[in-house]
Amino acid sequence: MHPYEVLRRPLITEKNTELQAQGKYAFEVAREANKPQIKQAVEKAFKVKVTAVNVVTVPGKTRRVGRRQVLTQPSKKAIVTLQSGDKIEFFEGV
Amino acid sequence: MKVTNEKIEDSQAFLSIEMEPAEVEESLEESYHRLVKKTDIPGFRRGKAPRAILERYLSKESLFEEALSNLLPKAYKKAIKEQKLEAIARPSIEIAQKDPVIFKAIVPLRPTVKLGDYHHIQVTPEPIEVSEADVNAIIERLRHQHAAWEPVERPVGFNDLVVLDIESNIEDKPFINQKGAQYQVVQNQPFPVPGFAEQLVGMGRDEEKELQLQFPLDYPKGELAGKEASFKIRVVEIKQERLPELNGEFAKEIDSNFETLDSLREQVSADLRLRAEEKAKIDFEERVIEVVVDITQVDFPPILVEMEIDRLLNQRLQRWQTGGNSLEEYLASINKTEEEIREELRPPATKRTIWSLVLGEVAKKGKIKVSDSAIDTEIKNIIKSATEDKKGELNKFLNTPQSRESIKQTLITRKTIQRLVKIAKGSNMSIKTPQKEEQK
Repeated sequence: MHPYEVLRRPLITEKNTELQAQGKYAFEVAREANKPQIKQAVEKAFKVKVTAVNVVTVPGKTRRVGRRQVLTQPSKKAIVTLQSGDKIEFFEGV
Repeated sequence: MKVTNEKIEDSQAFLSIEMEPAEVEESLEESYHRLVKKTDIPGFRRGKAPRAILERYLSKESLFEEALSNLLPKAYKKAIKEQKLEAIARPSIEIAQKDPVIFKAIVPLRPTVKLGDYHHIQVTPEPIEVSEADVNAIIERLRHQHAAWEPVERPVGFNDLVVLDIESNIEDKPFINQKGAQYQVVQNQPFPVPGFAEQLVGMGRDEEKELQLQFPLDYPKGELAGKEASFKIRVVEIKQERLPELNGEFAKEIDSNFETLDSLREQVSADLRLRAEEKAKIDFEERVIEVVVDITQVDFPPILVEMEIDRLLNQRLQRWQTGGNSLEEYLASINKTEEEIREELRPPATKRTIWSLVLGEVAKKGKIKVSDSAIDTEIKNIIKSATEDKKGELNKFLNTPQSRESIKQTLITRKTIQRLVKIAKGSNMSIKTPQKEEQK
């Protein structure tokens, strides 16, 4: 998988901004991506050193379309811990 | 905060206020706390977003502006306190620089009025004259009003009343079609078409005539200008004005109280005198005020004139308003822009401002006061002229503190003018030419 296809967008929420103090940054990533790919992508995109990657599969949510209940697409969330001292400035999606 | 008072001119202080970065920062922080509580940012509950996120979401500038709009009035208040200035209206504030923040404020100050020696002014009232000619003119007019019209058998002349059958067209469209129309033949009458009256002269009874007349190009009614009208007229009757004879009969006809012509003349001349006196009184008052204004040095901020212009404009608008018409519609109806009308109102507004300042100062110096009971009497006077069903409402309206205050001001002004008039009339023993005197 090409590194450019891995990272979808930064996730900027209350919880995630608090995590930034510990050098942890959250992204939505491609569902097919695995931890080493995410690590590589982040290091390449932001010129930082990644020490750990945690991933969570965010289940899709039920939504109604007319009378039917459907599931939205599940997604994958990655929480990336950087080497202490490294930083990422988020811009997109804000 | 550093405040420098650059200069004072026209009763306006020009302040330049420089803010310390710390003060600005404090205000920024405050604005953040206020704004974050009402901004919805996706991913955050209201009030929970950190400042960096909020700044990025709303843009730094808007936060800065919000902070400044809060900071400026406070800083301004502090500044005028520091400078011991007394502002009488809103200042105009302009931000000159953002880093560090420097803003300039033009503060309108209390106008200074240096009264001259108004105790020794002297104005001679214009003599009131009612001439024989004026009386005769009125009586002549009365004669015309009470004239009888009697039919005559002769061609039409000027000042006759003619009964006409008219058929007329303007470019094949009907214009005036009337049977038995009454028309007074007056020279140079522009109605219905200039030259119409002249055409009638010389026509006999039952005579018919067809005529073509062209409207002049500068005719006031634009849609008719330059068009040709064709008339077909028939003179039905010619009447001549018969003026009543000047005698006791005539006097009696006007009012049965008059026995003779002389008593009528007397009444007319008394009326004229009364009107002339009224006018002379107002003229005299104005002249007296002018004299006082001349010996007074007034220094006031231009904003007072602007406020007066606003007031005059509002008054005009109210007079013009019949329904919910806006300023724009009014301006459209008189074909002027707001600037033009403001410019037009500026001289009278300036005059009024000066007058009221001077009169106010005289009232203050002369310790002119108005008691509550005087205000009550004035209110009663106003109510008296109102219609029965509106009295209660009017009474309620006039007794509000605001309108009582404004009545008080009117009364004080009136009293002040009276005092000045008295001085101007009665100071024969004092110096002829009032000298400018500095009063501290």
